[in-house]
Amino acid sequence: MTEKKKGNAFTDNPLVKAIGLQKIVVVLVLILLVLVFSVASSSFRQYSTLLSILDCTYYLALLGIGVTFCLITGGVDLSIGTGMFCYALIGGYLITKAGTPVIVGILVTVLCGLIVGTINGLIVSKGGHAPFLATLCTMMIVRGMGAIVTNNSSITWPSAKAPNGWTRLLFKLDVGGTKVPIGLLWVLILAVVMSIFLNKTRPGRYIIAIGSNKEATRLSGVNVGKYQTLAYMISGVFTGLAALAYSSAFQSMIPGGGGGIELNAIGGAIIGGTSMSGGMGTISGTIIGVFLMSVLQLGLPMIGLQANWQQVIIGLVLIIAVYIDVLKNKRLA
Amino acid sequence: MKKKVLAVLLMAAMTATLLAGCGNNAETPAPAEEPAAEEPAASEPAADASKMSFEIVSKGLQHEYWQAVKQGVESKAEELGVSVNFVGPDSESNYDQQVQQMENALNSTPTAIGLAALSTDTLMAQLQTCLDNNIPVVGFDSGVPGAPEGSVLANCSTDNYAAGALAAEKVYEAVKDKIDGTVRVGVVAQDSVSESVVNRGLGFIDKFAELAVADGHTATVVGNERYINDAKCEKSDGANVIIDVRVPQQVDSAMSVADVNSLLGEDGIIALYGSNEHSANAIVTAAENHPEIGDTVVAAGFDSGSAQIQAVRDGVLLGSITQAPVAMGEILVQTLYDAAQGKPVSDTDTGCQWYTAENIDNPEIWDNLYGK
Repeated sequence: MTEKKKGNAFTDNPLVKAIGLQKIVVVLVLILLVLVFSVASSSFRQYSTLLSILDCTYYLALLGIGVTFCLITGGVDLSIGTGMFCYALIGGYLITKAGTPVIVGILVTVLCGLIVGTINGLIVSKGGHAPFLATLCTMMIVRGMGAIVTNNSSITWPSAKAPNGWTRLLFKLDVGGTKVPIGLLWVLILAVVMSIFLNKTRPGRYIIAIGSNKEATRLSGVNVGKYQTLAYMISGVFTGLAALAYSSAFQSMIPGGGGGIELNAIGGAIIGGTSMSGGMGTISGTIIGVFLMSVLQLGLPMIGLQANWQQVIIGLVLIIAVYIDVLKNKRLA
Repeated sequence: MKKKVLAVLLMAAMTATLLAGCGNNAETPAPAEEPAAEEPAASEPAADASKMSFEIVSKGLQHEYWQAVKQGVESKAEELGVSVNFVGPDSESNYDQQVQQMENALNSTPTAIGLAALSTDTLMAQLQTCLDNNIPVVGFDSGVPGAPEGSVLANCSTDNYAAGALAAEKVYEAVKDKIDGTVRVGVVAQDSVSESVVNRGLGFIDKFAELAVADGHTATVVGNERYINDAKCEKSDGANVIIDVRVPQQVDSAMSVADVNSLLGEDGIIALYGSNEHSANAIVTAAENHPEIGDTVVAAGFDSGSAQIQAVRDGVLLGSITQAPVAMGEILVQTLYDAAQGKPVSDTDTGCQWYTAENIDNPEIWDNLYGK
């Protein structure tokens, strides 16, 4: 938090306090939700529910870490939801249909994310498109590409017991019949690394500066386009990693799917205190935010709410989160 | 340097797309030299099998499902002594290619045509030509919905409602002794729109309720509105067999797995049924966190994806329903044969099979599974 102050000359103490406060509030809400779900549903209290929540958290957290960089520059990446499905479809297609080694499928999955992220970044920084529009377009492109590559058929990554099934163990180990959510470790390591990158390295600080005041950053001699592109490349790579997490946890996906998932990740980031208007945001906040989203996603059906009601409630939660963001900006102004 | 890196990245992307996107082009039959329309022969029923030639235009060719249909077509054709030509487009969105294949089929003056249309609209002209020249057309798989009146004589397809009912019989058999007090049966459905998915669900729900009521229980349906409204059984509050239908807001494995998780959280859950590959996979995935699936909770699926076949072998799924594409091919050729002789033909259910760890390796089952 204190690092952010250094990285952004425009912030002052009350703001830093506000961010800290929001995170504390979100954690309290999270605890409250877990308590409510636990009281209302006995099955929510089981270890298997924690495993299921974590299965949902891995891919959302990875998407969230990536998109936080775009949000901090004042942009957004809408292509991450359909992109995640597209890359998982392509990787899975190579492994299960084209017969390439698993490692190639994994590398291509992440590479696809990097390529689309780079394209997003170039369209935004060099092409001057609004991030919202640019990534909306690539969102459509990747949705189509996933269907084209797989010939319109759904893809199932190899099962855990199949010879190629070790990808299923990347995020959840089986130790003598007990499932160990090892993915939590990877996600936390990546979160720490990216948090350090964002706050303690020059490129990270430039990314924050761009979102805070693009013109001032440019005038101080920073290659704004380069670091803007970098933010979208990071988002792309993390989308590729999220595709691996999704395939590892849920194994199968259909062409054209994934729309709407980006909003869960972006919503998680905003709940965690990242500002839609840029210049402000933390990786730790995003992790807490997406965790809240996946607790809602798993908990709401358990207390008997049907799919459509879940959407309504998650929508309402986002309205509140964005409202807090607006209030924060007012206070800053 | 930067440009070079970018170029390499783009190349990699293009190569990946190429590798993934290009299948082998199906051999399309060369168009016959003289046009068919003038041939009067087609209007006369051919009595001699050796002179019969059937053109079969499928919705696909490479997928194992279509290969199984083709296998049935060819074995029946050999048995009857007729010649067949089985073609299909490279993908199920390749409408133009299917139109071309239908044109080629007409050019070869066939005795009859079997057709699974990708889109009836794009094939209207060809169907009209068949009608004008008295070339019998028989639909298969999803058939030719909305074809011009009289152009399609019959359809050979899976009765999804009956297939769902078969799953219900098998699941009921496995759990009927556990029905004690109030119990719950979960139906995991991909959507409430697609005709085949809905019928597979309703067939299951209606049959399960019917069997429960016959044994002196009371049954009701809860969950998704479409299924509640279309299910036949009386809906009442005090029923002791609750059939709970869950439909995700979109086709996302994570959401369907969450549906399974919440069904498992309900009191008295004894069985789960996933009505297509997506839903069955969701049950299989959820089973990794929930060892009770395949143990105290009986689970059944539909279709035969690779993960599903593995789960049937491992006992996670009690069994799954598969369509019978090989039989579909055989019945199609028989129907074409009958139609070519001027015999009356009617819609036929090409059947389905219940496969379990015990019978999965029998050739009559194994040949019908597509996720091998």
